[in-house]
Amino acid sequence: MNFKKLMTVFLTGFFLLVLAGPGRAQVQLEVKEHVLPNGMKILMIPKPGVPRVVCHIYYKVGSINERPGTTGSAHIHEHLMFKGTKMMGVTDYAADEALNRQIDDLMNKIYREKYWKRDGDQAKIADWQKQVDELAKAEKKYIIKDDLWGTYMKNGGTGLNASTSDEVTGYYVTLPSNKVELQMLLEADRMMNAYFREFYSEKDVIMEERRLSENQPGYYFNEQVRAAFYAASPYHWDVIGWMDDLKKVTKEDLIEFHNKYYVPNNAIAIYVGDFKPEAVVALAEKYFGAIPQGAEVEPVRTGEPPQYSEKRMYGQGPGMPSVQLWFHIPPDGDQDIPALNLLASILSGETGRLNKSLVKEKDLAIRAMAMSRPQWYAGAFTFNIVPKLQKGAKPEEVEKAVWEEIDKVKADGVTPEELQKAKNKTEASFIRSLESPMFLAMRVGRAELNRGWRSLLTDLEDMKKVTSDDIKKVAAKYFVKDNSLVAIYSRSQGR
Amino acid sequence: MKKTIILIFGFLFLFSAASLLTAQVTRPENLKFPPLQFEPPQPASFRLVMANGLRGYIQEQRSLPMVNISAIINTGSLYVPKDKAGLEAILSECLIKGGTKTRTGSAIEDRLDFLGGTINFSVGERTATLSLSVLSKDLDEGLDIFFDLLMNPEFREDSLKLAKGKIIEQMRGINDNPSLVLSREFEKVLYGDCPLTYEATKATVEAVNQADLKAFHRKYFFPKNIILAGAGDFNRNQLKTKINKYASKWANQPLNFPSISRNFPQPEPGVYFIQKKINQGYINIGHLGLEDTNPDYFAVQVMNFILGGGSFTSRITSKVRSDEGLAYNCGSRFTYRWGFPGTMAGYVQTKSSTVGYAISLILKEFDRIRQEPVSEAEMETAVNYFLESFADFFQSPARTMINFANLEMQGKPMNYYTTYRDKIKAVTKDKVMEAAKKYIHPDKMVIMIVGDYEPCNQGSDKFPGPLDRLGKVHRVKLLDPLTGQLVE
Repeated sequence: MNFKKLMTVFLTGFFLLVLAGPGRAQVQLEVKEHVLPNGMKILMIPKPGVPRVVCHIYYKVGSINERPGTTGSAHIHEHLMFKGTKMMGVTDYAADEALNRQIDDLMNKIYREKYWKRDGDQAKIADWQKQVDELAKAEKKYIIKDDLWGTYMKNGGTGLNASTSDEVTGYYVTLPSNKVELQMLLEADRMMNAYFREFYSEKDVIMEERRLSENQPGYYFNEQVRAAFYAASPYHWDVIGWMDDLKKVTKEDLIEFHNKYYVPNNAIAIYVGDFKPEAVVALAEKYFGAIPQGAEVEPVRTGEPPQYSEKRMYGQGPGMPSVQLWFHIPPDGDQDIPALNLLASILSGETGRLNKSLVKEKDLAIRAMAMSRPQWYAGAFTFNIVPKLQKGAKPEEVEKAVWEEIDKVKADGVTPEELQKAKNKTEASFIRSLESPMFLAMRVGRAELNRGWRSLLTDLEDMKKVTSDDIKKVAAKYFVKDNSLVAIYSRSQGR
Repeated sequence: MKKTIILIFGFLFLFSAASLLTAQVTRPENLKFPPLQFEPPQPASFRLVMANGLRGYIQEQRSLPMVNISAIINTGSLYVPKDKAGLEAILSECLIKGGTKTRTGSAIEDRLDFLGGTINFSVGERTATLSLSVLSKDLDEGLDIFFDLLMNPEFREDSLKLAKGKIIEQMRGINDNPSLVLSREFEKVLYGDCPLTYEATKATVEAVNQADLKAFHRKYFFPKNIILAGAGDFNRNQLKTKINKYASKWANQPLNFPSISRNFPQPEPGVYFIQKKINQGYINIGHLGLEDTNPDYFAVQVMNFILGGGSFTSRITSKVRSDEGLAYNCGSRFTYRWGFPGTMAGYVQTKSSTVGYAISLILKEFDRIRQEPVSEAEMETAVNYFLESFADFFQSPARTMINFANLEMQGKPMNYYTTYRDKIKAVTKDKVMEAAKKYIHPDKMVIMIVGDYEPCNQGSDKFPGPLDRLGKVHRVKLLDPLTGQLVE
């Protein structure tokens, strides 16, 4: 294959972002793009200076791509991506694979006996488990522990991590600028040749991770709130997944998951730091370009249907009490989103309406904020208030005070000063987000997977056009009882 | 054997790269990287001394129209008397919200918000930091507010009332979060009752008044007791002139820091159990550590990387998490505090039934690193990690200036970064073992567990209980967060 003959698109976006108003500075956000023939996109933001390069890979897959029975898979898979490949993490692949096949066969039997039958044969299970333990012990001699991680570390990799969200899974490392090739090699290898060693003990690790969340005050309640709010869409479950699914999901499920989503046409790589784009492009062609294109991935099918009813929840447990109001809003990219985002900004923060009214004037709460979270397929606008117990504030009083603020917006909109403040804050925080190479990579990379990274700039422009009337309109449209969930949590030391 | 396979593999790859590219890549060891030179920035080139001895580390960085500037003040919770514990939290809340002689807190917050700027103040153990971030077009206005807050805070009553209400409300929940309970109670056992561990109660918070805050401010906030750190879109000389306008009107005063005892109790080794009805045990195993100015610091860093600080490449993570699947989060850490020994601890959170087993594995690793030399491969990974990631310290100019300011404030050698790599290179396998023997004492371990006693005590196959197999079990009772008294 001759690379020079390949059809490639090399686009350079050079953006001059001119901030409105006299005396305002100009900001440049320069993102270079390169699309490989297999559909994988490479984004580059050169920042000469300290000889480090932030190297991130993002896959367009997250917990919304799961289904009941496999919840938590996107995150389990992210863990498994550190458990080796056909080349990494193993001294003798053939011998290791033979053992693994035996382990999988036994574990499948155990799962069937345990989870498919009402009264599984405990003796059989124990016997098979013993055999598994023996095989796992025998396998150890072929395993190079955390080979990929160790390789990154000894080459000065920092910010080494991965994360799974509802929509995106990311793999992160920052390397010395002479070692970008290492990331390409390792990431291309695990995209293509992932091999899930120690699958079963890793599931135990993830169950411990879930328990850590469960022991955070308020976790169980908030997990239920989310599940109640999203009745149909896959935002229904948390990224960590339900404990039952973590127990029962199989290695086959995860292999299927990998083959479907971990293909170059469902991924992007982004580089921010001290490098020459031509060099990165050449390396990307060599490593990522060699991976065969996969089948096209279908977007998530199930959106969130209209609620047509008010939902209310009450819960008790450890931690701070809270009053939450949730409203369904359209997804990211909808024309109503800029007004909703600005409204959240106007309501929130130390100088926001909620703090001024609920905390300072009425003395009902110690914290009061609103958030607009459009997400990719189904959005939420949430109010989150921590009531002040010393004052004996009743949660319903707090709820009423929130509705009063909502009604004010519906009736009178917002003031020109508030609107301008929110716009200035949004713009300045955008500029601030360009400072850290790591956050820049995250922001641009994630935006790219949904509506393209340029949406960061067009969203800013759309935001500037929002009027008080627009805000009045969206408040009236979305902040209605039939579109709401109210969740009231109070402190108890019970559980 | 392994090497041969790799070589053959690499060989094949070279010869047939063009045709084989569809599925295979070579082992990373075969990559050749171009050389990379990096010399760290020198603190002296950024240091400024302004009027009245106000010092600063200031770097121009013109790529974005922003300015970040911090004032690091040599004061902190360490100097708050026991009967006013919590003053630091009120000060953190009220320096900005309490306004200045000529501006109310709301006016300050409204204005900065309108400009898209941010301003934050927080009080730590021995340093307090006021940080401003503004677009460079707003620098003058930002500086005016920044110095007004540093020089003329008013701590208005309404801000105190709100702050106290918030702090007391949050106090109710401080025994709810198991990891916070663990770290707090662990320090209380290791350091005893002293200024490092004083805790606020409702009464001590309510005892703090405007005069206390003003007195605390008057005592510590003056030019010679502050170092600035700033980076952004400005001209350095012009910035100096602007700052001098304020600093020249700001008088210094004499200051004697209260002396704090460095004698800490020797807690009885064993298990310290805190009951909480949760499904995991949250565990710390350790004792006091050392200061980061200790000449052994670098050897300890390398040793701890291998033991449990180097995430997946470290022994504890590899054993407890990767081999046994017992925990998501585990390892070992040395913490450091300015002027006092920090702590040394192995840590893990695991389901109740495997608490004893996980602890036994960590204890084994403590013994092993004291008795056996670490391997060449472990040394190579650890040392190379510190050397190759060195430039990361300097990724953010604002952060670099803060680091330099902290070096000077804590009286550390200003060539800390210049000599850093040589000091890492000087660590040998022998020094690692020596450091382990000197700073890890299995016979003195406090094993603290926050969890549900019965299932933890019962254990499981690999480590059946009871927990007193690990040492005498002390049951620690939590205090009522509001009163600081024991509750039943």
